[in-house]
Amino acid sequence: MAMAALRREGRRLAPLISPRTITAVRSSPLYPTLEDEGPLGVRHISTQVVRNRMKSVKNIQKITKAMKMVAASKLRAIQTKTENSRGLWQPFTALLGDLPSADVKKNVVVTISSDKGLCGGINSTSVKISKGLHKLNSGPEKETKYVILGEKAKAQLVRDSKKDIELIITELQKNPLNYTQVSVLADEILKNVEYDALRIVFNKFQSVVSFVPTVSTVLSTEIVEREAESGGKLVDLDSYEVEGGETKGEILQNLAEFQFSCTMFNAVLENACSEQGARMSAMDSSSRNAGDMLDRLTLTYNRTRQASITTELIEIISGASALEG
Amino acid sequence: MTLNLCVLTPNRIVWDSEVKEIILSTNSGQIGVLPNHAPIATAVDIGILRIRLNDQWLTMALMGGFARIGNNEITILVNDAEKGSDIDPQEAQQTLEIDEMHNLACLFVNVK
Repeated sequence: MAMAALRREGRRLAPLISPRTITAVRSSPLYPTLEDEGPLGVRHISTQVVRNRMKSVKNIQKITKAMKMVAASKLRAIQTKTENSRGLWQPFTALLGDLPSADVKKNVVVTISSDKGLCGGINSTSVKISKGLHKLNSGPEKETKYVILGEKAKAQLVRDSKKDIELIITELQKNPLNYTQVSVLADEILKNVEYDALRIVFNKFQSVVSFVPTVSTVLSTEIVEREAESGGKLVDLDSYEVEGGETKGEILQNLAEFQFSCTMFNAVLENACSEQGARMSAMDSSSRNAGDMLDRLTLTYNRTRQASITTELIEIISGASALEG
Repeated sequence: MTLNLCVLTPNRIVWDSEVKEIILSTNSGQIGVLPNHAPIATAVDIGILRIRLNDQWLTMALMGGFARIGNNEITILVNDAEKGSDIDPQEAQQTLEIDEMHNLACLFVNVK
């Protein structure tokens, strides 16, 4: 937003620059090419105006640089936690199988996003994928509901899918993320929402510059039974004798809830990592742009200053020679 | 033939290596697992897991979760786990007393 404002100021500035100075500036994509040659009135721009602009650009550069460093330190803190939680959902997938293509009647899309902005495009991609899943799974018998975590997805989805939203949860990151908090959340979701399949949409953290939007599917126990009976990948489940508790169904229900909370925990951590990483790169490119803009403004300032000095000298000298002659 | 044991919590991997035998406490009692056990999936109660490595028994406290045993691979997923060697008995005793007082206080509040 700040950069767009600066660009607008730059465009306002450009027509005031004298034609002789345009050649230097024309190569940059930021300034539009001028067709008309305005008068040589460099005095139209005061150095004061350019100096003010330079000050504000420098401040923005400092702020964005500081934000980048804050994001980097936060990223380092969450990254170890995320990597440790990655091993958690793998046994579930090994036991219960991973069936993103299971055909179910009641889909619930859990969209995970950030609360704060200035983090690049990760929230928009999550929302786009959620909307895509919604469209894919809407039909005569099927329905899709949303559960939203985070302010940014709420802002985007409330606009056009208000009736499909079941739960909205914000300010997740006020306290550092831990498993108890997320499992309470998962409990809330499971209590209030009817589902056959839960699809969690989040950004997986692959590296500091790469965030991949992913969907994890958690199926309810009835669907798991149905898929196990129909053969395919879940046949392994039957080969395990299930112990502890009264009925197999009760254990599987328990297992499904545990699986959901583990996958949620991993998803929330990965998304938090991606958010910090995206913010780091966004703030980095922003401070670099501010630096470029500052260079251009400095050149403009110096030229303006020199031109006004030259004009004054010319006036004085011509005045003096007129007096003599 | 040795068993491969993996104990995972949401925050970290607590144990990942080979063992000779384990004793696990489930909802329906304690079970001992030796190599070539039949495949089972079971819920794990809050209790103690005993691990045997070469005639030496190690204990670990588990806070409930699930276990899957198959193909000489044991995967235990729990909410939290602490190795016996990491627990300080004094501290644990103090925490126990504080919690008991807390429970009593809550009872009083409820009665009011």
